[in-house]
Amino acid sequence: MQATLKPNPLATPKNKTFLRFLLDWAAVITLILCFVVFSLIKGERFLSVNNMINILRAMSITTVFAIAATVTMAPDGFDMSACTLASCSAYVFVSMYLWYGLPLWACILVCVAVTLVMYQLTMFLILVCKIPDMLATCALMFVHQGLGQWYIGGGAVSTGMRLPSGAQPVRTKLEESFSAIGREPWLIIIMLVCVLIAFVFLEYTKHGRFIYAMGGNKQAAKLSGINVKAYRYLAGMITAVFIAIGGILVSSRGSSAQVMCCDNYLMQSLAAVFVGRSVGGAEKPNAIGTLIGAMLVSTLENGLTICAVPYYVLPAVKGAVLALALVAAYATKKEQ
Amino acid sequence: MDKLTLGTRNVSIEFPGVKALTDVNFEVSTGEIRALVGANGAGKSTLMKVLAGANPDYTGEVYLNGEVVELRNTMAAKKLGIQIVYQEVDMALVPTLSVAENVMLNDMVMSSGRSPLLHWASLRARAREVLERLHINVNVRALVQDLSLAQKQMVLIARAIANECNFLILDEPTAPLSDTETAELFRLVKHLQETENIAIIFISHRINEIIQICEKYTVMRNGEIVDTSPITPDTTTREIVEKMLGRSFEENFPKEHVPIGEKAFEVKNLCGADGKVNDVSFYVRKGEIVGIAGLVGAGKSELCKTIFGAYEKTGGSVHLNQNELKISNPSHAVKNRIALVPEERRKEGVLVNETVSFNLSAASLGKFCTASFISKAKTDANARQYVDSLGIITPSIKQHVRNLSGGNQQKVAVGKWMAADCDVYIFDEPTKGVDVGAKQDIFRLINDITKRGNSVIYASCENSELLSITDRIYVLYDGRVMAELVTAATNEDEIMHYAVGSTTKYA
Repeated sequence: MQATLKPNPLATPKNKTFLRFLLDWAAVITLILCFVVFSLIKGERFLSVNNMINILRAMSITTVFAIAATVTMAPDGFDMSACTLASCSAYVFVSMYLWYGLPLWACILVCVAVTLVMYQLTMFLILVCKIPDMLATCALMFVHQGLGQWYIGGGAVSTGMRLPSGAQPVRTKLEESFSAIGREPWLIIIMLVCVLIAFVFLEYTKHGRFIYAMGGNKQAAKLSGINVKAYRYLAGMITAVFIAIGGILVSSRGSSAQVMCCDNYLMQSLAAVFVGRSVGGAEKPNAIGTLIGAMLVSTLENGLTICAVPYYVLPAVKGAVLALALVAAYATKKEQ
Repeated sequence: MDKLTLGTRNVSIEFPGVKALTDVNFEVSTGEIRALVGANGAGKSTLMKVLAGANPDYTGEVYLNGEVVELRNTMAAKKLGIQIVYQEVDMALVPTLSVAENVMLNDMVMSSGRSPLLHWASLRARAREVLERLHINVNVRALVQDLSLAQKQMVLIARAIANECNFLILDEPTAPLSDTETAELFRLVKHLQETENIAIIFISHRINEIIQICEKYTVMRNGEIVDTSPITPDTTTREIVEKMLGRSFEENFPKEHVPIGEKAFEVKNLCGADGKVNDVSFYVRKGEIVGIAGLVGAGKSELCKTIFGAYEKTGGSVHLNQNELKISNPSHAVKNRIALVPEERRKEGVLVNETVSFNLSAASLGKFCTASFISKAKTDANARQYVDSLGIITPSIKQHVRNLSGGNQQKVAVGKWMAADCDVYIFDEPTKGVDVGAKQDIFRLINDITKRGNSVIYASCENSELLSITDRIYVLYDGRVMAELVTAATNEDEIMHYAVGSTTKYA
């Protein structure tokens, strides 16, 4: 009886299985290749503990933003405004610390709270006004930029600067604890914890699976009784928390909140998610894949820099990696 | 096991402009397999959606064991053990999740009170247990997007059974299945009837299947129930079809004889579509209808699409009027006046979000343009002409095609190419999911095409249709032509003989 069903198409032709394996693990294979090649060329200078820490440090902030993007994209959402919002979070964080002299933990809480409140606007446009994610967040990008700079009066928030009102800031210098967040080991630990939380949430909780279910087929999820709006909202709120963490890391690492300090992280964080999408045949945005994606980009940058490739050429390399990852994901797809 | 009875009392539904259901009284009890038949648009799916809680705006009452229940959302229906497997399986499955999750999806949602953490091992074990109970052999770790259509359907049935299930509604489950897959499904349905306390409501257009598996049938017409009768050995297809149509019906569409001209279209040693088209050679003459027979999966669709350039050709050639054609994509095919009416009409044959008028001119927009600007007057005139001549039932030519019934969508898909005035028409399962009335309209259309001296290739797994409409038949098996038969001198048995791969001569 059972033999009457067609065999699993995955299991049939051997060369296809192999090709599929290669594509599923393309990002990991490329990462390993990078390590091998750079070690062969530069030996100790690349493979030293210090340099490994360099790579981790360089990837950490991108990874946190990429995790935020992963959680948004899991239910088939999209957020173009994540990093402009992160800039706002950074302004709030540093201003609380310097201008108003709040203790560090309070600054973090206020920063997360403000980011969550601001994310309500994103959710309002997407869930209540039913604007497609891409368009809503495109508009919000500008809103965030304008609102944020209005708050900081158009200039950076850093030590020795006055408030926009002309008042003197309460704190005049940054304490050690503030800067420690943006240095190893904390920076790296925070990144890994973010990845772990997202991983456990998406893979091992029902809520994570429901979010994936609506990402894979919203109609089916709805018909199964999943409250798709509630889960999109939940994913949004988690995203907001990661965005706030990203903003805090950027300001701690830069010892200030520069104007639009986070905006540039958007594209590379999205790149990390896309590269990681197919890792292990997951076929959906996933935390581990994202981590690997971010690591690949950062390893390439690091290795090429050591090999004395000029820094202004690096974006081209990043772009090429992204393009290749997308080729692996899409070129082999049958035309639908 | 207690016998449960689910019924409706005077249930009506009104959609804007149409009364979809009128005072329907329907009743079904556990332990029976009930057929629900009716032409397209008779209200079968609408009624079933009421029972599944997907049509919350009904008036009247639904009762379970005599007690009135409110089925205003899908959860309410599921809690009462009413499960539905929709015809379009992809609608209800999440392709990027594993089989285990898809089987247990409802269960995961229902048990939301308990721990938020997911126990993967027990989830997989329970999914495996359900699948084993139904004797379904699918790896629970596989992603659903890698399954075949039949397997996807099995996964959905498993999902329905995984929860408490007293009433299982199968909405046209066999439409996309091959004969062996259908047999497997019937085995499953019988198995369920024997082992679980369950009622199965079975919607199908294939009346012979219903006679084979069901014990009782209910006929719907124009949103009303017209008859409920037991199926006895004396029940005939003809009797049921006449109740569906409300009139007597010509069982075999009379083929109109059209003079057949010289060889017009020829395929020589065609190979492609990942080995699903294997050294196929055949020809079609002017005014001739050539059938492509074969079971589901024999490569009929692949052959059609390879000819049309939608699939890559790895060998062989295609000729029209003695000239070899270079077709490497569908656009070349259309330029060479070859038309394809594909199988998956909603996905491939019509633009569902466009108007009837636009669809009917889409394949030949050039004709309706003045210096690249579309002339609305011309497209509308064209649309009106074909709506009339094809008998497309639509409130206006400005109606979106997604709002038409299946049969009418198919007519639009055909009409689009009629307007384009091609030489060769390829039809891939044109009557799939179409009721008998609309089927006859489509046959008439195809006959009209041959009257204009054009050639028709008609691929179908409905052998009776091939026998009634074609002039010659090629039987495919595993992408190869097994036999060339002259329709007038063959029968269903001979076609089946070759379709299952026999290489011996039919005695």
